[in-house]
Amino acid sequence: MYDVIIIGGGPAGAAAGVYSARKKLKTLFISEGFGGQSLVSDDIENWVGIKKMTGLELAKMLEEHVRAYENVEIKMPEKAVSVKEISDGLSVQAGWEVGTDKNNVYQTKALIVVSGGRRRRLNVSGEDKFEGKGVSYCSTCDAPLFKDKIVAVIGGGNAGAEAAIDLLPYAPKIYLINRGSELTADPLIVEEIKKSPKIVIINNAETQEIIGDKFVSGLKYLDKQGSGQKELALDGVFVEIGSVPNSEFVKALVETNRAGEIIVDHKTGATSRPGIFAAGDVTDEIYKQNNISAGDGVTAALSAYNYLLNIKKQSPAFAEATAGKPAYENKNSN
Amino acid sequence: MTNKVVIYTTPECVYCKMTKEFFKENKVVYEEKDVSIDDKAREEMVAKSGQLGVPVVDIDGKIIVGFDKEKLTELLKLN
Repeated sequence: MYDVIIIGGGPAGAAAGVYSARKKLKTLFISEGFGGQSLVSDDIENWVGIKKMTGLELAKMLEEHVRAYENVEIKMPEKAVSVKEISDGLSVQAGWEVGTDKNNVYQTKALIVVSGGRRRRLNVSGEDKFEGKGVSYCSTCDAPLFKDKIVAVIGGGNAGAEAAIDLLPYAPKIYLINRGSELTADPLIVEEIKKSPKIVIINNAETQEIIGDKFVSGLKYLDKQGSGQKELALDGVFVEIGSVPNSEFVKALVETNRAGEIIVDHKTGATSRPGIFAAGDVTDEIYKQNNISAGDGVTAALSAYNYLLNIKKQSPAFAEATAGKPAYENKNSN
Repeated sequence: MTNKVVIYTTPECVYCKMTKEFFKENKVVYEEKDVSIDDKAREEMVAKSGQLGVPVVDIDGKIIVGFDKEKLTELLKLN
Protein backbone atom coordinates (compact mmCIF):
# COMPACT_ATOMS: atom_id res chain seq x y z
CA MET A 1 0.00 0.00 0.00
CA TYR A 2 1.29 3.44 -0.92
CA ASP A 3 1.30 6.44 1.40
CA VAL A 4 0.15 8.67 -1.40
CA ILE A 5 -0.95 8.30 -4.99
CA ILE A 6 -0.65 11.35 -7.22
CA ILE A 7 -2.89 11.36 -10.27
CA GLY A 8 -1.69 13.74 -12.98
CA GLY A 9 1.63 14.95 -14.42
CA GLY A 10 1.22 18.69 -14.89
CA PRO A 11 2.90 21.31 -12.69
CA ALA A 12 0.60 20.48 -9.75
CA GLY A 13 1.40 16.78 -9.96
CA ALA A 14 5.14 17.27 -10.35
CA ALA A 15 5.24 19.69 -7.40
CA ALA A 16 3.24 17.25 -5.27
CA GLY A 17 5.59 14.47 -6.36
CA VAL A 18 8.72 16.37 -5.38
CA TYR A 19 7.33 17.34 -1.97
CA SER A 20 5.93 13.87 -1.24
CA ALA A 21 9.31 12.41 -2.11
CA ARG A 22 11.15 14.84 0.17
CA LYS A 23 8.80 13.87 2.99
CA LYS A 24 9.89 10.27 2.38
CA LEU A 25 6.38 9.16 1.55
CA LYS A 26 6.01 5.97 -0.45
CA THR A 27 4.59 7.64 -3.53
CA LEU A 28 2.98 6.38 -6.71
CA PHE A 29 2.68 8.76 -9.62
CA ILE A 30 0.10 7.89 -12.27
CA SER A 31 -0.09 10.01 -15.40
CA GLU A 32 -0.64 9.93 -19.11
CA GLY A 33 2.44 12.12 -19.43
CA PHE A 34 4.30 15.10 -18.00
CA GLY A 35 3.66 18.76 -18.69
CA GLY A 36 -0.10 19.00 -18.48
CA GLN A 37 -2.05 21.19 -20.83
CA SER A 38 0.93 23.44 -21.56
CA LEU A 39 2.74 20.56 -23.25
CA VAL A 40 1.53 21.65 -26.67
CA SER A 41 2.42 25.30 -26.10
CA ASP A 42 5.31 26.50 -28.24
CA ASP A 43 5.99 29.51 -26.09
CA ILE A 44 5.73 29.83 -22.29
CA GLU A 45 6.97 33.17 -21.02
CA ASN A 46 5.47 33.28 -17.54
CA TRP A 47 7.01 30.33 -15.68
CA VAL A 48 8.75 32.24 -12.92
CA GLY A 49 12.52 31.93 -13.16
CA ILE A 50 12.59 31.07 -16.85
CA LYS A 51 12.08 33.85 -19.36
CA LYS A 52 11.03 31.68 -22.27
CA MET A 53 10.62 28.00 -22.99
CA THR A 54 8.42 25.54 -24.85
CA GLY A 55 5.82 23.28 -23.27
CA LEU A 56 8.03 20.31 -24.05
CA GLU A 57 10.91 21.90 -22.14
CA LEU A 58 8.65 22.49 -19.14
CA ALA A 59 7.48 18.88 -19.32
CA LYS A 60 11.07 17.62 -19.33
CA MET A 61 12.06 19.79 -16.38
CA LEU A 62 9.12 18.51 -14.38
CA GLU A 63 9.80 14.90 -15.33
CA GLU A 64 13.49 15.07 -14.47
CA HIS A 65 12.77 16.58 -11.10
CA VAL A 66 10.22 13.92 -10.14
CA ARG A 67 12.45 11.13 -11.46
CA ALA A 68 15.33 12.37 -9.28
CA TYR A 69 13.64 10.72 -6.26
CA GLU A 70 13.83 6.99 -5.71
CA ASN A 71 10.78 6.78 -3.48
CA VAL A 72 8.47 7.92 -6.28
CA GLU A 73 7.30 5.11 -8.50
CA ILE A 74 6.01 6.30 -11.88
CA LYS A 75 3.33 4.61 -13.95
CA MET A 76 3.23 6.30 -17.33
CA PRO A 77 1.44 6.37 -19.67
CA GLU A 78 -1.41 5.22 -17.50
CA LYS A 79 -4.73 6.82 -16.72
CA ALA A 80 -6.73 6.61 -13.51
CA VAL A 81 -10.33 5.74 -14.30
CA SER A 82 -11.84 4.98 -10.89
CA VAL A 83 -11.35 5.57 -7.19
CA LYS A 84 -13.03 3.45 -4.54
CA GLU A 85 -12.95 3.65 -0.79
CA ILE A 86 -11.29 0.68 0.90
CA SER A 87 -13.35 -0.39 3.88
CA ASP A 88 -12.29 -3.64 5.47
CA GLY A 89 -14.10 -2.67 8.66
CA LEU A 90 -10.88 -2.99 10.64
CA SER A 91 -8.65 -0.09 9.64
CA VAL A 92 -8.59 3.00 11.75
CA GLN A 93 -8.77 5.05 8.61
CA ALA A 94 -10.03 4.05 5.20
CA GLY A 95 -7.73 4.12 2.22
CA TRP A 96 -8.39 4.42 -1.47
CA GLU A 97 -8.15 2.04 -4.37
CA VAL A 98 -7.30 3.53 -7.75
CA GLY A 99 -8.22 1.63 -10.92
CA THR A 100 -6.56 2.45 -14.24
CA ASP A 101 -7.05 2.02 -17.98
CA LYS A 102 -4.40 -0.73 -17.88
CA ASN A 103 -6.68 -2.69 -15.55
CA ASN A 104 -4.28 -2.20 -12.66
CA VAL A 105 -5.45 -1.52 -9.13
CA TYR A 106 -3.32 0.41 -6.61
CA GLN A 107 -4.05 1.04 -2.95
CA THR A 108 -3.11 4.13 -1.01
CA LYS A 109 -3.65 5.83 2.32
CA ALA A 110 -3.95 9.32 0.81
CA LEU A 111 -4.76 10.57 -2.65
CA ILE A 112 -3.75 13.75 -4.48
CA VAL A 113 -5.90 14.52 -7.52
CA VAL A 114 -4.05 16.77 -9.95
CA SER A 115 -5.59 15.53 -13.18
CA GLY A 116 -6.00 18.98 -14.69
CA GLY A 117 -8.36 19.82 -17.50
CA ARG A 118 -8.90 18.86 -21.09
CA ARG A 119 -10.17 20.69 -24.11
CA ARG A 120 -13.89 21.30 -24.15
CA ARG A 121 -15.60 19.70 -27.10
CA LEU A 122 -18.47 21.16 -29.08
CA ASN A 123 -20.63 18.05 -28.63
CA VAL A 124 -22.22 18.45 -32.03
CA SER A 125 -22.86 15.89 -34.72
CA GLY A 126 -19.79 15.22 -36.89
CA GLU A 127 -17.22 16.35 -34.31
CA ASP A 128 -16.08 12.84 -33.31
CA LYS A 129 -16.34 11.45 -36.82
CA PHE A 130 -14.13 14.13 -38.34
CA GLU A 131 -11.55 14.51 -35.57
CA GLY A 132 -8.20 14.41 -37.37
CA LYS A 133 -10.08 14.65 -40.64
CA GLY A 134 -10.58 18.39 -40.59
CA VAL A 135 -11.56 18.87 -36.96
CA SER A 136 -8.54 19.90 -34.89
CA TYR A 137 -7.87 20.95 -31.32
CA CYS A 138 -4.30 22.14 -31.93
CA SER A 139 -3.84 25.07 -34.24
CA THR A 140 -0.08 25.33 -33.70
CA CYS A 141 0.27 21.67 -34.75
CA ASP A 142 -2.16 21.46 -37.60
CA ALA A 143 -2.41 24.95 -39.13
CA PRO A 144 0.15 24.15 -41.90
CA LEU A 145 -2.05 21.25 -43.07
CA PHE A 146 -4.71 23.73 -44.08
CA LYS A 147 -2.69 25.56 -46.68
CA ASP A 148 -5.03 27.04 -49.31
CA LYS A 149 -8.06 25.69 -47.42
CA ILE A 150 -10.98 27.53 -45.92
CA VAL A 151 -11.32 27.01 -42.18
CA ALA A 152 -13.39 28.02 -39.19
CA VAL A 153 -12.22 28.65 -35.66
CA ILE A 154 -14.88 28.17 -33.02
CA GLY A 155 -14.47 30.40 -29.97
CA GLY A 156 -14.22 34.14 -29.47
CA GLY A 157 -11.82 34.15 -26.52
CA ASN A 158 -8.03 34.40 -26.50
CA ALA A 159 -7.50 30.80 -27.59
CA GLY A 160 -9.84 31.21 -30.56
CA ALA A 161 -8.29 34.49 -31.62
CA GLU A 162 -4.77 33.06 -31.32
CA ALA A 163 -5.76 30.03 -33.40
CA ALA A 164 -7.07 32.35 -36.12
CA ILE A 165 -3.71 34.15 -36.08
CA ASP A 166 -1.85 30.81 -36.26
CA LEU A 167 -3.86 30.02 -39.38
CA LEU A 168 -3.23 33.36 -41.12
CA PRO A 169 -0.07 32.31 -43.00
CA TYR A 170 -1.84 29.27 -44.46
CA ALA A 171 -5.59 29.59 -44.87
CA PRO A 172 -6.95 32.11 -47.40
CA LYS A 173 -10.16 32.56 -45.41
CA ILE A 174 -10.84 32.05 -41.73
CA TYR A 175 -14.29 32.27 -40.18
CA LEU A 176 -14.10 33.12 -36.50
CA ILE A 177 -17.31 31.79 -35.04
CA ASN A 178 -18.34 33.35 -31.77
CA ARG A 179 -21.36 32.49 -29.64
CA GLY A 180 -21.51 35.91 -28.01
CA SER A 181 -22.24 39.31 -29.49
CA GLU A 182 -18.58 40.35 -29.46
CA LEU A 183 -15.15 38.77 -29.10
CA THR A 184 -13.94 38.33 -25.52
CA ALA A 185 -10.25 38.04 -26.41
CA ASP A 186 -7.78 40.69 -25.17
CA PRO A 187 -8.13 44.03 -27.01
CA LEU A 188 -4.65 43.77 -28.55
CA ILE A 189 -5.47 40.45 -30.21
CA VAL A 190 -8.94 41.60 -31.27
CA GLU A 191 -7.32 44.58 -32.97
CA GLU A 192 -5.00 42.28 -34.92
CA ILE A 193 -7.94 40.05 -35.88
CA LYS A 194 -10.03 42.96 -37.11
CA LYS A 195 -7.15 44.25 -39.23
CA SER A 196 -6.89 41.05 -41.25
CA PRO A 197 -9.00 40.91 -44.40
CA LYS A 198 -8.77 37.10 -44.32
CA ILE A 199 -10.64 36.74 -41.03
CA VAL A 200 -14.42 36.95 -41.06
CA ILE A 201 -15.99 37.27 -37.62
CA ILE A 202 -19.43 35.73 -37.20
CA ASN A 203 -20.99 36.74 -33.88
CA ASN A 204 -24.09 35.27 -32.20
CA ALA A 205 -23.45 31.96 -33.91
CA GLU A 206 -24.12 28.58 -32.29
CA THR A 207 -22.31 25.76 -34.08
CA GLN A 208 -24.73 22.90 -34.71
CA GLU A 209 -23.17 20.37 -37.04
CA ILE A 210 -19.96 19.51 -38.85
CA ILE A 211 -20.56 17.84 -42.18
CA GLY A 212 -18.48 16.01 -44.75
CA ASP A 213 -17.74 12.71 -46.42
CA LYS A 214 -14.18 11.47 -45.78
CA PHE A 215 -13.07 14.89 -44.63
CA VAL A 216 -14.87 17.98 -43.37
CA SER A 217 -16.72 19.87 -46.10
CA GLY A 218 -18.87 22.26 -44.15
CA LEU A 219 -20.33 23.57 -40.94
CA LYS A 220 -23.87 24.47 -39.92
CA TYR A 221 -24.62 27.11 -37.35
CA LEU A 222 -27.63 28.82 -35.90
CA ASP A 223 -27.75 32.57 -36.22
CA LYS A 224 -29.08 33.43 -32.78
CA GLN A 225 -30.34 36.79 -33.95
CA GLY A 226 -33.10 35.09 -35.81
CA SER A 227 -32.05 34.39 -39.36
CA GLY A 228 -32.10 30.62 -38.78
CA GLN A 229 -29.60 27.91 -39.68
CA LYS A 230 -26.78 28.77 -42.03
CA GLU A 231 -24.15 26.68 -43.74
CA LEU A 232 -20.52 27.43 -44.54
CA ALA A 233 -18.48 25.46 -47.07
CA LEU A 234 -15.04 24.81 -45.55
CA ASP A 235 -12.32 22.19 -45.01
CA GLY A 236 -11.27 22.61 -41.42
CA VAL A 237 -12.74 23.37 -38.00
CA PHE A 238 -10.52 24.39 -35.07
CA VAL A 239 -12.29 24.08 -31.73
CA GLU A 240 -11.08 26.56 -29.09
CA ILE A 241 -13.84 26.82 -26.52
CA GLY A 242 -12.03 26.42 -23.24
CA SER A 243 -11.49 23.43 -21.01
CA VAL A 244 -13.28 21.08 -18.66
CA PRO A 245 -11.87 19.54 -15.46
CA ASN A 246 -10.80 15.88 -15.47
CA SER A 247 -12.73 15.09 -12.31
CA GLU A 248 -15.14 12.37 -13.49
CA PHE A 249 -13.27 9.47 -11.85
CA VAL A 250 -13.58 10.96 -8.33
CA LYS A 251 -16.89 12.77 -8.66
CA ALA A 252 -18.76 10.17 -6.63
CA LEU A 253 -16.41 10.73 -3.67
CA VAL A 254 -15.73 14.46 -3.50
CA GLU A 255 -17.83 17.58 -3.85
CA THR A 256 -17.62 19.39 -7.16
CA ASN A 257 -19.14 22.65 -8.36
CA ARG A 258 -21.42 23.16 -11.35
CA ALA A 259 -18.44 23.32 -13.71
CA GLY A 260 -17.29 19.92 -12.42
CA GLU A 261 -14.32 21.41 -10.56
CA ILE A 262 -13.35 19.78 -7.28
CA ILE A 263 -14.14 22.11 -4.41
CA VAL A 264 -11.08 22.44 -2.16
CA ASP A 265 -10.14 24.33 0.96
CA HIS A 266 -7.62 26.71 -0.55
CA LYS A 267 -5.56 26.82 2.64
CA THR A 268 -4.90 23.08 2.60
CA GLY A 269 -5.97 21.54 -0.71
CA ALA A 270 -8.35 19.29 1.22
CA THR A 271 -11.48 18.10 -0.58
CA SER A 272 -14.77 17.25 1.12
CA ARG A 273 -13.38 13.76 1.75
CA PRO A 274 -10.65 13.30 4.39
CA GLY A 275 -7.62 11.72 2.76
CA ILE A 276 -8.32 13.07 -0.72
CA PHE A 277 -6.51 16.27 -1.68
CA ALA A 278 -6.61 18.14 -4.98
CA ALA A 279 -4.70 20.93 -6.71
CA GLY A 280 -4.42 22.80 -9.98
CA ASP A 281 -6.86 23.07 -12.86
CA VAL A 282 -9.06 20.20 -11.70
CA THR A 283 -10.06 22.30 -8.68
CA ASP A 284 -12.11 25.45 -8.21
CA GLU A 285 -8.91 27.52 -8.16
CA ILE A 286 -9.84 30.73 -9.98
CA TYR A 287 -6.57 31.27 -11.83
CA LYS A 288 -5.65 28.38 -14.08
CA GLN A 289 -1.94 29.06 -14.19
CA ASN A 290 1.12 26.79 -14.19
CA ASN A 291 2.81 28.63 -11.32
CA ILE A 292 -0.31 28.52 -9.18
CA SER A 293 -0.86 24.84 -9.93
CA ALA A 294 2.68 24.10 -8.77
CA GLY A 295 2.10 25.99 -5.53
CA ASP A 296 -1.26 24.29 -4.99
CA GLY A 297 0.46 20.95 -5.59
CA VAL A 298 2.92 21.72 -2.79
CA THR A 299 0.04 22.63 -0.48
CA ALA A 300 -1.76 19.37 -1.28
CA ALA A 301 1.38 17.28 -0.69
CA LEU A 302 2.19 18.90 2.65
CA SER A 303 -1.43 18.50 3.75
CA ALA A 304 -1.38 14.85 2.70
CA TYR A 305 1.81 14.44 4.75
CA ASN A 306 0.20 15.98 7.82
CA TYR A 307 -2.90 13.85 7.29
CA LEU A 308 -0.74 10.72 7.25
CA LEU A 309 1.01 11.79 10.45
CA ASN A 310 -2.34 12.28 12.13
CA ILE A 311 -3.78 8.92 11.15
CA LYS A 312 -0.54 7.31 12.29
CA LYS A 313 -0.93 9.01 15.67
CA GLN A 314 -4.48 7.72 15.96
CA SER A 315 -3.56 4.11 15.18
CA PRO A 316 -3.35 1.77 18.21
CA ALA A 317 -0.02 0.33 17.01
CA PHE A 318 1.54 3.78 16.98
CA ALA A 319 0.24 4.62 20.45
CA GLU A 320 1.80 1.43 21.81
CA ALA A 321 5.13 1.92 20.07
CA THR A 322 5.53 5.52 21.14
CA ALA A 323 4.22 5.15 24.69
CA GLY A 324 6.41 7.28 26.95
CA LYS A 325 8.30 8.82 24.05
CA PRO A 326 8.09 12.47 23.02
CA ALA A 327 5.36 13.54 20.62
CA TYR A 328 5.84 12.77 16.96
CA GLU A 329 8.19 15.17 15.31
CA ASN A 330 6.58 17.34 12.72
CA LYS A 331 9.10 19.80 11.51
CA ASN A 332 8.21 21.19 8.15
CA SER A 333 11.83 21.59 7.24
CA ASN A 334 12.85 20.98 3.70
CA MET B 1 16.81 -5.73 -39.66
CA THR B 2 16.43 -2.05 -40.46
CA ASN B 3 12.98 -0.57 -40.81
CA LYS B 4 12.15 2.13 -43.32
CA VAL B 5 10.78 4.90 -41.14
CA VAL B 6 9.24 8.14 -42.43
CA ILE B 7 7.76 10.79 -40.15
CA TYR B 8 5.52 13.59 -41.43
CA THR B 9 5.75 16.69 -39.24
CA THR B 10 5.03 20.38 -38.80
CA PRO B 11 7.55 22.67 -37.05
CA GLU B 12 5.49 23.57 -33.97
CA CYS B 13 3.96 20.17 -33.30
CA VAL B 14 5.09 18.93 -29.91
CA TYR B 15 4.09 15.31 -30.48
CA CYS B 16 6.25 15.35 -33.62
CA LYS B 17 9.19 16.48 -31.50
CA MET B 18 8.46 13.81 -28.91
CA THR B 19 8.31 11.13 -31.58
CA LYS B 20 11.63 12.27 -33.08
CA GLU B 21 13.25 12.28 -29.65
CA PHE B 22 11.93 8.79 -29.08
CA PHE B 23 13.59 7.75 -32.36
CA LYS B 24 16.88 9.35 -31.32
CA GLU B 25 16.83 7.69 -27.88
CA ASN B 26 16.29 4.35 -29.54
CA LYS B 27 18.75 4.99 -32.38
CA VAL B 28 16.07 4.64 -35.04
CA VAL B 29 17.11 5.99 -38.44
CA TYR B 30 14.24 8.00 -39.93
CA GLU B 31 13.40 10.35 -42.74
CA GLU B 32 11.50 13.52 -41.84
CA LYS B 33 9.09 15.28 -44.19
CA ASP B 34 7.96 18.74 -43.11
CA VAL B 35 4.47 19.02 -44.55
CA SER B 36 4.30 22.76 -43.82
CA ILE B 37 6.71 23.36 -46.73
CA ASP B 38 6.46 20.18 -48.78
CA ASP B 39 3.10 20.08 -50.58
CA LYS B 40 3.76 16.70 -52.14
CA ALA B 41 4.56 15.18 -48.77
CA ARG B 42 1.35 16.65 -47.34
CA GLU B 43 -0.75 14.99 -50.02
CA GLU B 44 1.17 11.74 -49.56
CA MET B 45 0.56 11.85 -45.80
CA VAL B 46 -3.16 12.48 -46.17
CA ALA B 47 -3.48 9.68 -48.72
CA LYS B 48 -1.59 7.22 -46.52
CA SER B 49 -3.28 8.03 -43.23
CA GLY B 50 -6.69 9.37 -44.23
CA GLN B 51 -5.98 12.02 -41.61
CA LEU B 52 -5.35 15.73 -41.43
CA GLY B 53 -3.17 15.66 -38.35
CA VAL B 54 0.49 15.29 -37.42
CA PRO B 55 2.62 13.41 -36.68
CA VAL B 56 2.08 10.52 -39.03
CA VAL B 57 4.69 7.76 -38.93
CA ASP B 58 5.13 5.22 -41.70
CA ILE B 59 7.07 2.12 -40.63
CA ASP B 60 7.46 -0.22 -43.60
CA GLY B 61 4.02 0.77 -44.84
CA LYS B 62 2.32 0.53 -41.45
CA ILE B 63 0.82 3.85 -40.40
CA ILE B 64 0.73 5.32 -36.90
CA VAL B 65 -1.09 8.60 -36.28
CA GLY B 66 0.08 10.63 -33.27
CA PHE B 67 2.85 9.85 -30.76
CA ASP B 68 2.03 6.31 -29.71
CA LYS B 69 5.05 5.01 -27.80
CA GLU B 70 3.66 1.54 -27.33
CA LYS B 71 2.80 1.03 -30.97
CA LEU B 72 6.15 2.43 -32.11
CA THR B 73 7.94 0.07 -29.71
CA GLU B 74 5.95 -2.84 -31.07
CA LEU B 75 6.42 -2.08 -34.77
CA LEU B 76 10.11 -1.26 -34.36
CA LYS B 77 10.60 -4.33 -32.15
CA LEU B 78 12.44 -2.24 -29.56
CA ASN B 79 11.83 -4.47 -26.55
